[in-house]
Amino acid sequence: MSIEIIQKYFSKLDQFRHGLKKYVKNNNEIHVELDDSFQLIEFCEFLKSEIYLKLLTIIYCDERKTNHTFSIRYLLGSDIDDVFLFVIVSIDKKHAYFPSLSDVFPSSTKYEREINDMFGIQSQENSNLKPLILHDFPENLFPLRKDFDANTKLNYTPKKFEFTPVTGDGVCEIPVGPIHAGIIEPGHFRFSVLGERIVNLETRFGYTHKGTEKIAENMSLDDAVFLSERISGDECVANSMAFCQAIEKIAQLEISEKAKQIRLVFAELERIYNHFGTLAGILTDIGFSYDASRLNILKEYMMQLNEKLSGSRILFGINQIGGVKIDMSNESLSEIHSVLNHIFQNFEKILKHIQSNSSVMDRLRNTGIINKKTVRDLGIVGISSICAGIDTDTRKIHPYGYYSSIKFEQTPTENMEQQVKLQKQIGDVLSRFLSRVDELRYSKKLIDSMCNLDDDEICIPLKSELPPFSSGLGYAESHRGETLHWVMMGENNSIFRYKIRTASFANWPIIEHAVLNNIVPDFPVINKSFDFSYSGNDL
Amino acid sequence: MNKNNQNKIKKSDVSSWDTVTIRELLKSHNGISEKFRGKITLEPDKDFKLTDKIGKNLENTCPTNAISYKNNDSVSLDVGKCIFCGNCQEELPELIKISSSFDSAKKKKIDLVQTFSESIPFGKTFDDIGKDLKNKIDKTFGRSLAIREIDAGSCNGCEIEISALNNPIYDIEQFGIHFVASPRHADILLVTGPASKNMEKALKIAYDSTPEPKMVIAVGACACSGGIFGQNYATTGGIDGIVPVDVFIPGCPPRPQALIYGILLAINKI
Repeated sequence: MSIEIIQKYFSKLDQFRHGLKKYVKNNNEIHVELDDSFQLIEFCEFLKSEIYLKLLTIIYCDERKTNHTFSIRYLLGSDIDDVFLFVIVSIDKKHAYFPSLSDVFPSSTKYEREINDMFGIQSQENSNLKPLILHDFPENLFPLRKDFDANTKLNYTPKKFEFTPVTGDGVCEIPVGPIHAGIIEPGHFRFSVLGERIVNLETRFGYTHKGTEKIAENMSLDDAVFLSERISGDECVANSMAFCQAIEKIAQLEISEKAKQIRLVFAELERIYNHFGTLAGILTDIGFSYDASRLNILKEYMMQLNEKLSGSRILFGINQIGGVKIDMSNESLSEIHSVLNHIFQNFEKILKHIQSNSSVMDRLRNTGIINKKTVRDLGIVGISSICAGIDTDTRKIHPYGYYSSIKFEQTPTENMEQQVKLQKQIGDVLSRFLSRVDELRYSKKLIDSMCNLDDDEICIPLKSELPPFSSGLGYAESHRGETLHWVMMGENNSIFRYKIRTASFANWPIIEHAVLNNIVPDFPVINKSFDFSYSGNDL
Repeated sequence: MNKNNQNKIKKSDVSSWDTVTIRELLKSHNGISEKFRGKITLEPDKDFKLTDKIGKNLENTCPTNAISYKNNDSVSLDVGKCIFCGNCQEELPELIKISSSFDSAKKKKIDLVQTFSESIPFGKTFDDIGKDLKNKIDKTFGRSLAIREIDAGSCNGCEIEISALNNPIYDIEQFGIHFVASPRHADILLVTGPASKNMEKALKIAYDSTPEPKMVIAVGACACSGGIFGQNYATTGGIDGIVPVDVFIPGCPPRPQALIYGILLAINKI
């Protein structure tokens, strides 16, 4: 981050109040420490209205051993500048609550529910939040507190989850899940319908909660890379890349250019095979199986390419701290180019066939529309925000790795504003479908632009022990959107706190808005057009 | 007239697709890449000697504690816990061999543990296994076998491979197998994930509502042993703690060939 941007932000922060305790860390992180949590709401309102920042996540941390307090970090980000702002507040033990930001940032409610579950600390205004992740969990035990052991054996006692009742003449409830009809992950959806129209949807997740954040605290750094890959299997490259970048930032380790290039190639390959899968899924859900099968063939083709390159069909085991594990030669790069050329030739033909089919287009158009304002309020990222005309591409706004060497002139969203004006990007299933197509083409362009890999080491190992209680933020753009990994180191190179916010966690609330006033049979296609991960949400 | 024809696929289109996609893939879908990490075995080289230091180092390289070393010169490997990261092969290529084979499914959990085992040559392809499977299904199940997939907390890697069974390349329906929407219609339950505590109840209910005779197949390292998640406050460490399991398919994730090999093992049990 350049000095001008820092000065710009510092002078803006001074407008709020002189003498704020602020400092820059890890190149693009501005940390602001507030002494008093009572100013928090006012400060965040200022950040939102004057500096146009949005809430990315809330990181809670049990620092009772070192600072005798819980600390809470509000991570805010900009849509324009490459800057992250941490607002750090301490919560003392006496009053176990913190101010709720839900009036300023509606997206904060979900994070507050998570903190209530995992730390047992409530926000001041919302004292009876519903549980988010833990079901039937014993009372007065909170998994992410330091005095809770990850391997504790617990007696779960069944509890009833109160869904918001929707009443009225002719309103019916349809419960769906956790085990669904298709081959997908578990989650519960409670529809309230009037005739065929959905008047309310309440989601309940947490079924795949595996204690990921907690067990990372007992792992070595190298093992935690494997864990980060298994946050969500289909975005493993993006997640492990973000984790590795966080550690590399803390260690101030600059990885080799070649490692960066290989990471980029694999990240884009991952995006391509997943987008093919999602497009096929959308077509399957509307019963158009001919082109769905065609796209599934392309997906399989991509997975075989993955296997040839890395030994894993879904690209497990690519990243390690300090670089990558899999070396790539220029020959295999040119093989990737030729395979991609074949695949995309077919893809364009399939696409033409889909677009000339009016029954498909009619079904996708105006289905599951999301509102631009809702998208902004809920802090939605990735395709789900691009389809409504808000660009949140991390590769462009916060360039990382080799993306910072690439000029982003022709982004997949370059004509976004115009398309919004032409009513082409209105946040329906069709615009999500077409945004994915744009991203696919763009990913191919990115891989094509890599013609020569540098001749370099692929991994620079960590040398020294990392300073205890230093922290770093890693981020990457998965095919679902921005994934954020914040790591705080403990003593002896252990992990003190590993906070993961995948794109799925940020994005799931939008589904409750997207389905409103649609018919129940359209729910599968709306859900698939977003393609969120359940495992990435529940962790 | 022209407009009506617009939507139709031209014959030339189809043949050009075939040359680049289907034919090549059909050719290649039995040829698994040599790099693929599919089967892990303990095969010592001739002049390999196990020392205390080597054994302990090896034990420490495994992120999921699948390898254990005992003082009296023996190394045992629990394939059910293995996430196929390849660390141990890098550490000790003299003993650990990872091949692209996929026949590691076992009927008993204890069979997943190897201690200097002998490797059995296995040369079957997807189509060979499929043929056996089809014959068996024709005889025992009246030509169709119904499978219900249940995700008990997986990372969705196994789901990708299971849904790949349905694509036109592997096309599992050609053998008479189809995935059904409810456990009430199923003969076999394919269960993935380390069985999170929150899914325990749902998995039990699904198992109870499956009609007899029924079989359960644990898919992936997580379902076999808990995998990298192990047993903690939120997971139960393998689905065999919740429902009886007939076949364990190790792998992270197991490839489609490994999945149908496991299904064949399961129906051979009857």
